[in-house]
Amino acid sequence: MTSRTDSSAAESLNPVASMESHLAAVEHAYQSALREIAELNARDTLKTQFLANISHDLRTPLTAIITHAEILRDGILGPLSGRQQDSIAGIIGGGRRLLEMVGEILTYARGAANQLELAPVEVSIGEVIDQVRRLNESLVARKQLNLDVQIDADTPKVVADREKLAHVLGNLLGNAIDFTPAGGRVWVHACPHFENRSTVLVEVGDSGIGIAADHHELVFQEFAQVDASASRQHHGTGLGLTIARRLVELHGGRIWLDSELGRGSRFFFTIPTQPPAP
Amino acid sequence: MTGSRRPLVLIVDDSSHVTAPLQLLFEETGRRVAIAGSVAAAVRACEAERPDLMLLDLTLPDGDGLSVLTALAGSAALPPVTVALTGHDDARTVQRCRAAGCRDVLLKPVPVRELLRRAAEWLAEQAPAAERQA
Repeated sequence: MTSRTDSSAAESLNPVASMESHLAAVEHAYQSALREIAELNARDTLKTQFLANISHDLRTPLTAIITHAEILRDGILGPLSGRQQDSIAGIIGGGRRLLEMVGEILTYARGAANQLELAPVEVSIGEVIDQVRRLNESLVARKQLNLDVQIDADTPKVVADREKLAHVLGNLLGNAIDFTPAGGRVWVHACPHFENRSTVLVEVGDSGIGIAADHHELVFQEFAQVDASASRQHHGTGLGLTIARRLVELHGGRIWLDSELGRGSRFFFTIPTQPPAP
Repeated sequence: MTGSRRPLVLIVDDSSHVTAPLQLLFEETGRRVAIAGSVAAAVRACEAERPDLMLLDLTLPDGDGLSVLTALAGSAALPPVTVALTGHDDARTVQRCRAAGCRDVLLKPVPVRELLRRAAEWLAEQAPAAERQA
């Protein structure tokens, strides 16, 4: 048996032995890294499954809160005073908002686990934009924003998942409204893509606070909000753009943005007229 | 349904968070309500008295909620209208529910006004006179 010092001395005298020893160390490190990656992937899968489970379980007590409150609001158990109505409206509004956030987490978790599927039908993008615009009317009015919607007449219909398209547009328009100060401008424009007319191009823009160039990729990453001070004002799951990207890519489209800090943002996405083959 | 009997709504869900407010809602609006918390209990409830409307959760302690429909297929106890009330309304779930015979698939929590409006339509299809009295 040789001592470690003896062995090192022998290796330095024998280049082949030294190389073999080095290769063995590299192989050991490689195998160790593979084990670590496998363990991290397993933990990530568990985390995603936990998010899906907890999101689903949160819906049940929320159902109780919202349904009981709506029963009271609608006077089914007797008339309420004006202040009681206001209070109940607050419970319902808060409950519905929480439900939306839980839904976002569930959609994210399903997307991360590749469990999202398309239910494609023929869809007019203009109709989906109009549906999302109506849902946001009261917010737009409250912030005194100028919302402009333009659908070019030659915009083709697409075969797409209507609800998922509405989800993408809802997230983008919701952000545009959220991050634009009172009195600002928000717009949505749909047209055939200038390079490929079998693809629809949609732009959701705003005159709001904007995003610095070095954060353009970060905003699409999960749980990211680029500015801590902004995130305090704009509470949310931080998943909206991650989900939007996943849903657009599921349709075979692409999403990107053009923005500068303080100069507003323009988000663009494309949707092919036909979804990719499964 | 015959005569002026009040319509019977069977709510199949294993959580009182879901069943309690729906029971309150339907009873306060003139319907009778039965509750079942499992596939087996739902089948027994239907066999005891056929409901006019069954609101069915898909995830039950003893199995898939849709197996209630399988168990009652071809039987006189099968409710004339079954509506799935679920936490998932993805395309595959909707397709599965439709294939099993559900009239509709609604995502919980269904807004109360919408649920009442739809329930009135489903029940009126079967016995307009009775539902009008409800």
